[in-house]
Amino acid sequence: MAALRTSPIFTALEAHSPEWGEHAGMRVALRLRAENAANVDTLALTDVSSLVRTGLKGPGAVRWLEAQEIPVPQGFNRWVPLPEGGLVARLARTEFLIEDGWAGGPVARLAAALRTTAPGVYPVPRQDCAIDICGANAPDLFAETCAVPFALDPPEARIVTLTTMVGVGVTVLRRDVQGRPCWRLWCDGTSGPYLWETLTSIAAEHGGGPMGVRVLHGDISQPVAGTQGGRP
Amino acid sequence: MKLLCCPVNGLRPVSEFAYGGEVRAMPDPATCTDDQWADHVFNRSGIPGVKIEWWYHLPSGVWFHAERDVTADRVLRTWMPGEESAR
Repeated sequence: MAALRTSPIFTALEAHSPEWGEHAGMRVALRLRAENAANVDTLALTDVSSLVRTGLKGPGAVRWLEAQEIPVPQGFNRWVPLPEGGLVARLARTEFLIEDGWAGGPVARLAAALRTTAPGVYPVPRQDCAIDICGANAPDLFAETCAVPFALDPPEARIVTLTTMVGVGVTVLRRDVQGRPCWRLWCDGTSGPYLWETLTSIAAEHGGGPMGVRVLHGDISQPVAGTQGGRP
Repeated sequence: MKLLCCPVNGLRPVSEFAYGGEVRAMPDPATCTDDQWADHVFNRSGIPGVKIEWWYHLPSGVWFHAERDVTADRVLRTWMPGEESAR
């Protein structure tokens, strides 16, 4: 069955002749043909747009999430992890982003529940471009592209930063993966190709580049037959 | 770099914000005269001095108030509407 969703940066990834897999109905670049696995410790950018997410906002959002037994970050612009590997991010005051982990999570249940009207709760469908940026040189990339020094925030503080990066509105938080410093960044899907192209070109100047999901996140999907280094 | 302090997100470059105009009381459209309504819709005060304005933080969608000396272009304080604890 063909994938039902397409990453906002599918075309940019396709240029790297990746080995394709599939996750949550979206083609996922498991490994790029010429990727350097050592970049995961230097500077690597990985498309994680396939992770399923939803959002909600409104004065009743906190109470609604609590009724759904979803942990709510107590501070503004903070996030908490979910048991299945996902996360709940509080954006400003009464808006939330909920994202599943690779193994699943509550997003489908919450999205279904949000179809029923609740007072003061408004669904915010999310089709973001999501990018994981990891490696020791990631702060250099951020310093060159963003005015807010969020890379200096202590990871245990679980701070969510809403700012602009190369002119694009982004939401970013730090969530280390396998002991490696890693930042997850979301932006509107329409800005995704520009942001990806700009960040990967600057990353190259810092000894990094794009990478498939396998090195950072392991085997999240079986390869799609016949795509080991080619078009799906 | 010019900076502005969002009451929710903190100190940010002013490029992250959009100006929303001076805070003005809207006359009751059901009872005001046409002249009063036209004055509200079309006319703005250009008098220099300290004004309270609407500002918008683009990445997070936060609207807030800023007290700004428009003569010196200096922001004196910012706060969320309805909250007087200024930053």
